[in-house]
Amino acid sequence: MDSHVDASTGNEVLLQLRDIVRTYEMGSELVHALCGISLDICRNEYVAVMGPSGSGKSTLMNIIGCLDIPTSGDYSLAGEKVADKNESELADIRNRLIGFVFQTFNLLPRANILHNVELPLIYGGIARAERRHRAEQALERVGLKDRLTHRPNELSGGQCQRVAIARALVRNPSIILADEPTGNLDSKTGDDIMGMLDDLHAGGQTVILVTHEDDVAAHAQRVLCLRDGQVESDVMNVDESVLRNARAG
Amino acid sequence: MRLLLDTGESFRIAVGAVMANKARGALTMLGIIIGIVAVTMTLAASNGMQQSFRQAAGSIGADVIYVSRMPWITINDFFTFRNRPNISLQEADKLVEAFAGVAVVNPTMSGRQPLKYRSQVLQDVTIVGTSEKMPIISGQVPEDGRFLLAFDVRFRKNVAIIGKDVADNLFPSADPINKTISIGRYRYRVIGVMEKQGGNTFGGPNLDMQVFIPITSFVKSFGGRRNTNVDVAVKAGSIAAMENLEYEIIGEMRRIRQLRPAEDDNFSINKLDSLMGAFNSVFGAVLGIGLLVTSIALIVGGIGVMNIMFVSVTERTREIGIRKAIGARRRSILMQFLFESTLICVLGGLLGIGLSMLLTLAVNAAGAFTASLSLGIMLSAVFVSALVGIIAGLVPAYKGANFAPIDALRYE
Ligand SMILES: Nc1ncnc2c1ncn2[C@@H]1O[C@H](COP(=O)(O)OP(=O)(O)OP(=O)(O)O)[C@@H](O)[C@H]1O
Ligand SMILES: [Mg+2]
Repeated sequence: MDSHVDASTGNEVLLQLRDIVRTYEMGSELVHALCGISLDICRNEYVAVMGPSGSGKSTLMNIIGCLDIPTSGDYSLAGEKVADKNESELADIRNRLIGFVFQTFNLLPRANILHNVELPLIYGGIARAERRHRAEQALERVGLKDRLTHRPNELSGGQCQRVAIARALVRNPSIILADEPTGNLDSKTGDDIMGMLDDLHAGGQTVILVTHEDDVAAHAQRVLCLRDGQVESDVMNVDESVLRNARAG
Repeated sequence: MRLLLDTGESFRIAVGAVMANKARGALTMLGIIIGIVAVTMTLAASNGMQQSFRQAAGSIGADVIYVSRMPWITINDFFTFRNRPNISLQEADKLVEAFAGVAVVNPTMSGRQPLKYRSQVLQDVTIVGTSEKMPIISGQVPEDGRFLLAFDVRFRKNVAIIGKDVADNLFPSADPINKTISIGRYRYRVIGVMEKQGGNTFGGPNLDMQVFIPITSFVKSFGGRRNTNVDVAVKAGSIAAMENLEYEIIGEMRRIRQLRPAEDDNFSINKLDSLMGAFNSVFGAVLGIGLLVTSIALIVGGIGVMNIMFVSVTERTREIGIRKAIGARRRSILMQFLFESTLICVLGGLLGIGLSMLLTLAVNAAGAFTASLSLGIMLSAVFVSALVGIIAGLVPAYKGANFAPIDALRYE
């Protein structure tokens, strides 16, 4: 693997975005969702993406997660250019390298939660016995081992999001992408979810999350602010106090 | 491995999808059921007719070669055969001699004559002049009395074996054996009654309206100079032996008739095979038209399935997005919907086959004509319904498989 190394920290660069532009065509009008984003994210970083509504946070996450293709610009993931990949290679990347956690959970309503968590393993070609074992383990990690046969509509929002996290982590991907994971949850449940993301980060995963809330962003090491499709600020908050100061100031 | 798991998951989803929309699935299936019933019943009816034909043609014998003046099947070259000489009894006798000890050879002649017993008259009965070897060729045997003996033939006995229907018509109450009947102007003694043959379902000759007499007596009674035309049957003993025997017969006939090498045969070789071939080609055309018409019903059913599949794909847009986001390939989504449409159609097909079985029983009980639903027809019906499912599902499945993941995820 052609891995890059960050000049200042010496860490491996996992994501490299250069001049990423994403425009949507709305009839005759062009909507510029992202207008030239360049940034590097290293392995095991914990990044919070903030910014006003419509600033392009979700668009950026979708491009990072290979769900969407930029209109122009270069994006390399783990040293490989995403633009060179075909559809099934992209599916494979999403399956192996990326775990998604969505604001609206996006579980399959008709399948029980065990099956929901097994799904990435099925598409990854993991045999039945191991698949089941790993899915149960993942559900145990999020504290839902006793709910395997329940369907999503029999669970609370917080529990649904925990299933989604189990699904995201079950293949042990390099990157966890969470777009407003606490957006639909009360603050207590949100704290639980953030605790789990913290654990994933502590376990070596790269976590990128979108949030509107400062105390959620405070979990991250690095805060990226977008405005009108551009990076407005990109600060490290190694120290909790930096963020608190920024908030105060 | 991955493909296998993908397939398993796709199948699971398909079953789930059909189960989740039972009423809709059942309505869609109805179209396929009707289509499959129409097609299988056409096939069953044709199969039944073919079987009756085979049965009727059974007395011809599959391993028997007939030497005749005319081919059985003349399409449009009747005039080239018109000037052929009749096959004479002398020529037939030479054939009998030539193949003595090698094959059973039986000459026959036939003509129509009125039949009379006391005041009972039967018009237009087929009188067959034949030899004692006929039962070996055709398998027809008397149920009562006896058949001809070599003795009867050699001494031109005026004895007759009558068909079952002849017996029933001429002797409604009496025992026909040893009664004297008039064939044309000649008196014959009834020595046997043939077994019922049946199998004249579709206007073929009624084998039960025949009367058998010694061929020598036939010539004596009815053989004018014009109509002494003999058909010679040669039994090969096995299908495998037929080809060689045919060449030998042709050679022998040419020798008997002293044909020069440049001359064409002025006789014909006929076999059940060639009759079946002609029947099959006519029958095939009729069947083809029938299938063309009934398959329209199936196509309409297939369009119904395609329609439902478009609905299903649209309903599941968001699900497609979720699956793609966690690594489903285009192929997995494609299979998921192809399985769904195929499942609907195969279930419909199976129900259609069940219905066709009942209909076949009903048709046969009613006795209008015989329908016969073979295993081959049923398997083809399953195959065809699966094919309809795949074709009907292809376009909707492609549509679903090609959704951009992000658009599908955002779909409400
Ligand atoms: N499919 C689309 N078609 C057209 N325009 C789009 C589409 N998706 C996003 N946009 C536009 O792109 C811009 C960025 O959208 P995006 O969803 O990335 O914002 P966001 O930062 O996630 O906002 P929010 O905080 O409300 O989720 C917006 O102006 C939006 O209207
Ligand atoms: Mg958003």
